[in-house]
Amino acid sequence: MSPAGCPHVNSFKVDNWKQNLRLIYQCFVWSGSAETRKRKAKSCICHMCGAHLNRLHSCLYCVFFACFSKKHIHEHAKSKRHNLAIDLLYGGIYCFMCQDYIYDKEMEQIAKEEQRKAWKMQGLRGLINLGNTCFMNCIVQALTHTPLLRDFFLSDRHKCEMQSNSCLVCEMSQLFQEFYSGHRSPHIPFRLLHLVWTHARHLAGYEQQDAHEFLIAALDVLHRHCKDDNGKKANNPNHCNCIIDQIFTGGLQSDVTCQVCHGVSTTIDPFWDISLDLPGSSTPFWPLSPGGDLTALNGESHATGATTLMDCLRRFTRPEHLGSSAKIKCSGCHSYQESTKQLTMKKLPIVACFHLKRFEHSAKLRRKITTYVSFPLELDMTPFMASSKESRMNGQYQQTVEAFNNDNKYSLFAVVNHQGTLESGHYTTFIRQHKDQWFKCDDAIITKASIKDVLDSEGYLLFYHKQFLEYE
Amino acid sequence: MNKEARLKASINQKLTETGERDRLKELLRAKLTECGWKDQMKAQCKDVIKQKGLEHVTVEDLVVEVTPKGRALVPDSVKKELLQRIRAFLTQHAS
Repeated sequence: MSPAGCPHVNSFKVDNWKQNLRLIYQCFVWSGSAETRKRKAKSCICHMCGAHLNRLHSCLYCVFFACFSKKHIHEHAKSKRHNLAIDLLYGGIYCFMCQDYIYDKEMEQIAKEEQRKAWKMQGLRGLINLGNTCFMNCIVQALTHTPLLRDFFLSDRHKCEMQSNSCLVCEMSQLFQEFYSGHRSPHIPFRLLHLVWTHARHLAGYEQQDAHEFLIAALDVLHRHCKDDNGKKANNPNHCNCIIDQIFTGGLQSDVTCQVCHGVSTTIDPFWDISLDLPGSSTPFWPLSPGGDLTALNGESHATGATTLMDCLRRFTRPEHLGSSAKIKCSGCHSYQESTKQLTMKKLPIVACFHLKRFEHSAKLRRKITTYVSFPLELDMTPFMASSKESRMNGQYQQTVEAFNNDNKYSLFAVVNHQGTLESGHYTTFIRQHKDQWFKCDDAIITKASIKDVLDSEGYLLFYHKQFLEYE
Repeated sequence: MNKEARLKASINQKLTETGERDRLKELLRAKLTECGWKDQMKAQCKDVIKQKGLEHVTVEDLVVEVTPKGRALVPDSVKKELLQRIRAFLTQHAS
């Protein structure tokens, strides 16, 4: 292994050798895309004995794969006088004249670049746990795979006006760059953790925190730091036009109906997530008020008895009697009257996050509700829209028309799960890449997951995005 | 090729196609670094180089000398975990 390099490579370094070498790396050593992986799986076997292990090498002068351990590649080198071969496992270049692996600067450079490229396409990277920080890691995984957010940060659209190094948007931007950099080793998000502690004091410390709380705190800080980007401030401080608002903010309509004069008082509040009560909590789940024939829309049946996400949403949007101890001052009657309240969706966000309230923190009880809630890959929010409610009240059953309205249809792209108890637990995330490839992110470890794994999981935070975004 | 060899080949194909092989490699890499195996191997390699002399030693020398020790030193827990993950993958893709 002479540091001066191998003299025999010179006969290889002619014509278009660089491009040829790159191709070999891309196709047979570090396959980046599904296509090249398929080709590699099929063609990378020893031309002499058919083995796929045994330190397979590829001749650099012709298309010939052979194993090193059984000296098949040596035979080829001798008979054809092709003196260079590449190790398909590690990408090292072997010279049969020098009888050793050689280190050529130019070739090393190419090898490094190709390796980076192969992993760059993935955008998958583990996150080191810094001490009970899985509550942060799981949310980071969901955010780095949120379509529009990813595009925003990767195209570097944030112009920072904060003086100090404490802008969370800048840090997020850095984080996204790290994820899509092509580095394979797990990322250590210490700067992010520090910024979170600085801006969201209630989350500081090394105890286990709630992932949902972290999500809301992170969105809040990002929203605040983003606001400085806009030249013009919107009239409503709660609804500026920053990227967070564009993606996550929806409008929740609350209608309070007076039971005497039937006058309706409506307010619309912004929301970033929908928190849903579950059966088994201390607040009663059943019975639902008669809400019309909504069960057929998402192809559900209650034969199995399992609670579904749709059940939770139906309960969330049901009319609720406010009782005699909670009378509202009615502007029509000019007095306090009993009323009913109903929540519906006025405006749907591009990314909808559903929070299943599994952690009960009532006065007596602190426990985790592990009731299984089944959730779909595709969700139609039409029945829960304020407009649908109005149509139903007017006696119009618009279901067939609304069903063709793609704007209310959502696709699942991330699921955060909590395993364990209230006192000691662990968060993991399933994320979706391309149309149907799912991966499980467990701190530093990323593994392939099946759709079944995802749908069978307990579910704590469910992330859906509008279907019109499906361009991948 | 006999039946076992064919089975091995088809498993390998599936692992490569889905990219699972690359992910398992990364996992193994991380685990072996974590438990100090990588440092042990480095020390072993240094010994071989000292023995054979820096000018004369080849990669093949290292492979021949260090491989058996390397295999023996992999902790059982790491073997177990990899096996578990491969099993899980196979169950998923059984057809």
